[in-house]
Formats: sequence, C-alpha cells, structure tokens
Amino acid sequence: MNDDAYPEKEEEVDLLFFDIGSTLYGTDASQVLRIDRALPDDLSLPELGLPHKGGRAIVFDTPEGEAHLKVDAVHGVRSIPIHTLRRMPPTAGAAPYAVGVCLDEARTVLLIDLVETARTQGRH
Amino acid sequence: MAPDRALATQARPEQEFFCFRVGDLRLGVPSENVLEVLRAGLLTPLPRTPSFIMGVTGHRGEVLPVLDLLRFLSKGEARIGPRTRLFVGVTGSYVAGVVADTVLGLRRIPVADILPPPLGGDAAAEHLLGVVQASGNQEAINLLNFSKLLQTARQRAVAR
Repeated sequence: MNDDAYPEKEEEVDLLFFDIGSTLYGTDASQVLRIDRALPDDLSLPELGLPHKGGRAIVFDTPEGEAHLKVDAVHGVRSIPIHTLRRMPPTAGAAPYAVGVCLDEARTVLLIDLVETARTQGRH
Repeated sequence: MAPDRALATQARPEQEFFCFRVGDLRLGVPSENVLEVLRAGLLTPLPRTPSFIMGVTGHRGEVLPVLDLLRFLSKGEARIGPRTRLFVGVTGSYVAGVVADTVLGLRRIPVADILPPPLGGDAAAEHLLGVVQASGNQEAINLLNFSKLLQTARQRAVAR
C-alpha cells in the first residue's frame, strides 16, 4: 500500500476564544466546563483588560473546585493546528498564566491557562 | 575591495552600525545584531510585563517580544504608527523586535571616531558602546551595546 495515499493528519488542539474588553484571548477548551452568566464575585483580572460588561463567565475546574472568569464574549471553540501554537518567549517575562500564543489568527492571540489565573488571584 | 580602500580600512578600522531614530534619540546598533527590518503591525499586549515590553508579534512563525527602547532607557515612550518599523535584534539565543520611528540605514563608523559614553551619565549610559558626533548640525548617534541591553531587558523581565 502506498503510504502517500493517507497523508498523516496534522495534530490539532481545541481552543476556546473569548473577549475581555476589546482583546481576544484563547484557552485550552478542555479546561472549560461550561459558559455561564457572570456573577458579581466572579474572577476578573485587570491585567487582561477591564471587561466592558463582563456578562459571561467561563467556568473551569481547579483542584479546589469550580472557578469563574468574567469575560465579555465567547466566540466558540476552534480546532487549531498545533504547529501554529508557540510557547511564550522567556525574554517577554509575562505572567505565569500567559502560557503562549496562537499564530493562526490575523494577529497573535494570547493563550491563557485558566487554572493559573485562579491561582494568581489567590482564589481556589 | 579596491587596494586603496583596503589600505584605508586597515589604517582606520571601521564598525558597521544599523542606525535609527526613536523619539528624539538617534541610536545605532552593531549591524551583526540586526537580522531584518519589518513593519510594526499589530502587537498583542502581554499582562504583567515590564513597561518596556510593548507586547508580542508573530513573525516568520516565531513569537517576538517587542521592546520600547525609550521606556527601557527612561527617555519617554514609543508610539506605534503606520510608518513605525521594528528591527529584529539578536544576541546569542535571545531575539526581540525593537521599535524604530525611522530607519537611518547602515553606517560604517571609524572606530577612532567613537567617543566613550559620557561619565556620570544617566542609567542609559551603561548600555552605550559610545557616541559618534554627526556631521553638520545633526544630533549625535548613541551607539548601543545591544547584547548587554537585551540581557538586561531579559533579567528585568524575569526578575519580576
């Protein structure tokens, strides 16, 4: 059999894209339990930008239980080829929850580790 | 190289610098530290980075942190406009984009013309190789020790 007839499928990862303020972010969709309405006590990180309304919350699991991150809009999940993802360069010295970037969009999209955002806030 | 030119070069060694303007500063970086020049484009801001890191941008499949030298040298703040350029600076394994308002080009500067950095200068002076006086009424060009600058930038970034 000719192996060329079955080209190897490129590995992909599911990313959830969302807005906080006017900035687009992405996160590993496998961390996300559900999208919910935001509540006043939900987690909000000013370093990621201030939400316009923050009407939605991304609900994710942490070792200590569920946590909620306030966002403005959720754009849904897309399968992204792994070759378009990059780790954050050490020279950038970014926050620990800024784990990398996705080059698949028109501009680079910052990838956020949700569990790490909760740790940063000392929540959960 | 023509024999006369070769003799002249031997007699007066030169070093090539990539020269640019940012804000009110005219700066030069050893050309071996510069890979290429590109349009600034859209930057992605990063949370909790030092103020001199303006964000990151994707270029040739890599992620470049983008440095604002004005902020790094405490000389103001760079602004990104449609004509702003980035030069890709490299030293060892560190690569970064650096904001330039205007590219002045490559200049071969006789080593003998490079004056030492001013004594008792501000913090920026520690990252200077020297200063070269420009002809006419043009401002001097500050020649940067880019390797030291990028290492300091990295140390400041990760020390936070």
